[in-house]
Amino acid sequence: MRKITIDPITRLEGHGKIEIFLRPDGEVENVYFQVPELRGFEKFCEGRPVEELPSIVTKICGVCPGCHHMASGKAVDAVFGVTPPPTAVKLRELFYMAHFIHSHIAHFYALAAPDFVVGPTANPAERNILGVIAKVGLEIGGEVIKQRRIAQEIQALIGGHQTHIIMNTPGGVKKGITAEQRDDIVKKAEGFVEFSKFSMQLFKDVVLGNKDYTDLILNGPYALRLHSMGLVDANNKVNFYDGKVRVVDTMGKELCLYSAPEYTEFVEERVEPWSYLKFPYLKKIGWKGFTEGQDSGVYQATPLSRLNAADGMATPIAQSEYEFMFKTLGGKPVHATLAMHWARLIELIYSAEHCLELALDAEITGTELRAPLGRIVGEGVGIVEAQRGTLTHHYWTDEKGMVRKVNLIVGTTNNNAAICMSLKKAAQGVIKKDTPITEGTLNMIEMAFRAYDPCFSCATHSLPGNMRMELILRDHEGNIIRTARRD
Amino acid sequence: MTGLADRSGKVLVLGIGNEILTDDGIGLKLLEDLEKKGIPAGADFVKATVGGLEILDLISGYKSVVFLDAIRTANGVPGTVYVMDLSDFSETLHLSNLHDISFIQAIKLGKTLGYSLPAAMHILAVEIVEDLVFSNQFTEAIESRYPEILARVEFFCESLG
Repeated sequence: MRKITIDPITRLEGHGKIEIFLRPDGEVENVYFQVPELRGFEKFCEGRPVEELPSIVTKICGVCPGCHHMASGKAVDAVFGVTPPPTAVKLRELFYMAHFIHSHIAHFYALAAPDFVVGPTANPAERNILGVIAKVGLEIGGEVIKQRRIAQEIQALIGGHQTHIIMNTPGGVKKGITAEQRDDIVKKAEGFVEFSKFSMQLFKDVVLGNKDYTDLILNGPYALRLHSMGLVDANNKVNFYDGKVRVVDTMGKELCLYSAPEYTEFVEERVEPWSYLKFPYLKKIGWKGFTEGQDSGVYQATPLSRLNAADGMATPIAQSEYEFMFKTLGGKPVHATLAMHWARLIELIYSAEHCLELALDAEITGTELRAPLGRIVGEGVGIVEAQRGTLTHHYWTDEKGMVRKVNLIVGTTNNNAAICMSLKKAAQGVIKKDTPITEGTLNMIEMAFRAYDPCFSCATHSLPGNMRMELILRDHEGNIIRTARRD
Repeated sequence: MTGLADRSGKVLVLGIGNEILTDDGIGLKLLEDLEKKGIPAGADFVKATVGGLEILDLISGYKSVVFLDAIRTANGVPGTVYVMDLSDFSETLHLSNLHDISFIQAIKLGKTLGYSLPAAMHILAVEIVEDLVFSNQFTEAIESRYPEILARVEFFCESLG
């Protein structure tokens, strides 16, 4: 068997390795996606007061600290048996919308747009954010940086710091905002709405206006028929902060709807000997292997699966775009992996609209920020949607609230099996016997991975590397017979 | 954060890392100690967790910037301080970001967009041992060499005031 190694994945702050094994005839036999183990988080938390965890967990990931802070804050509320007052919940949500805006803008312009605006097989020296700006103009580049910065400023204002967030406290938040600060956020949120609409139009012009790209999305080796998971509100609309977890099957029919404390009845994690990262699956179906289809236990928790799992969006422009996407792609659910980029932009619009709604809400400047604590119940689960998927924090404490045990299921872990399967499918689609393996070939495989916007900082951390992607062909004795490399 | 108008002519020392991942927080610890000692004189001292696009807003407007980060290289000696600039930059652990762009891309982007970037950018990267285990204590190899590491970084920074 010949072996292809891609190590490291091109960008740091989380490191992974994709290994592609070829059959003797040159076709793809299998693909393994591996990440290194990050160890000792549970031990690090044990014995600490549980109210310290919302601040500690912001340090386990520099990419999505706000998501961990929110899931942790909700889990701690549950441990103390307390429900935060409306103003506190709305401030948390307002912060969280800014967090999503910041992250989704970065993903679209820095990671997704280069493949479509510049081209999936374009010269890698040009296939980056600089190439995007060269095509769309300097003014847009400046706007990307500006809108991200503004979102960060809102996070810092409400959260106390843009990354080391300290806002959540058991039963609420530590501080509110003034009317003057609210007015400033309203103006900024209006700008978010306009910029998110512009970004969607750019996507439509560049991607939907190009038959090759729509073919790639719909007919390329990127479709994966799996069940879809996402948090929904009482009306089954997409919600990032609160609600119930809904899973729909590959046909769009509801498989389950559960509240946070019930998650262990519905999700189980599997260990594979070749991976440090666990493989969650739907417990009631069971683990049926890395297989797609209605009988599979594997699910996806991504921007696209959130839209698949819901009945719609809770804001008007996002709802309109939601309907347009599903109509264009042939109805719900959609299983085209690359459509995650489209779904992410719909979520960007929702985040911007909801940010504005919350800023205009009369209660947002309220002064009742914290509810009295209840009796320590000793166990709490908090679930939110992280940008990369459903995020679960589960804490156990003693009667004094000291941490005994911690379990996290992070967004990327939910998608571990799906990422492996997407990579295999993409590799099988683009690597053919007697066909030269080019840099573009590698990128076409990496596109399947990048669509998930995976984050390994939560479960893993960075290792040395020089930002290169390397593909090595080995003969059956392990000798290198060909390399393709991208710096 | 210091406003752009206040940055002109000043040095920024930017520590990057994660203080609860064993040696990964070396850049943050060095930053704290330099700030206590006021080295370089008159500098601004800022902590960050990741690089990428974030870098641009943090560094624009300054005369010069010193990045303090961790690095792991094949067969590297723990505690070694590597001094790099843009011309011989090797990827450190945090200056780039999986979720947006690389450090070099960020700098090119800043230039393209007309940012006022520091004329001098120094990257001081400390060879570490462990960054995959949650702990707020350094490994013995780094702890024992810390005074030496700090002295080396101080010596470099003193010339920048």
